[in-house]
Amino acid sequence: MKNRLKVLRAENDWTQAELADRIGVARQTIVALEKGKYSPSLELAFRLSKLFGKPVEQIFDPESVDGKPD
Amino acid sequence: MNGIGDIADMATTTTNPVRQATRRYFIEFAISMTAYVATICISRSLLYGPMRTASPGWQYVIALLPLVPILLVFGAIVRYMLGVDELLRRIQVNSLALAGGATALIAAAYGLIEGDYAPKLSAWWTFVTFMMAWLIATFFVRRRYQ
Repeated sequence: MKNRLKVLRAENDWTQAELADRIGVARQTIVALEKGKYSPSLELAFRLSKLFGKPVEQIFDPESVDGKPD
Repeated sequence: MNGIGDIADMATTTTNPVRQATRRYFIEFAISMTAYVATICISRSLLYGPMRTASPGWQYVIALLPLVPILLVFGAIVRYMLGVDELLRRIQVNSLALAGGATALIAAAYGLIEGDYAPKLSAWWTFVTFMMAWLIATFFVRRRYQ
């Protein structure tokens, strides 16, 4: 699923490791999310939404969902 | 189960639960494997030394002594999987499933030819095959998300 994580992270001047620490995941998970290779659970999506102060649909693009599993 | 970069990241002090779980896993794994090597040495030296003439029951107990640290490794793996985030857990669950399937296939295939066309092997090889398959599966499953 396409998303704006990389842009939002850059706007906050955070490294991938810093973002990972802020939401309690591994850096590898941030890499996979930014590349659109992994779609997060609802819980993780809402944690990101809360962290960036934006609705989930402004972070993740629902139009890019292709129906294929990760 | 992690790449070198990830392991280096984990070395830093942090409150990130995933890093804490990973650091705890490596510590527990190292201690358990050290204990495993020690118990192997102790049990073998006892079985081929003072316990050589002991009752079969005691010999079984001594021979199974290295199982204790193996159980500790199992506990460490379970704690690691419960402590990491959803993607790392998914990678490990998928890898374990693939490794289990591959090991079952290999064991079944070898079972069909064992004795007649291939030498009889120790059941220990099933464990070794599973661990190798898990390692290989983890490598390929991780690549899907990189």
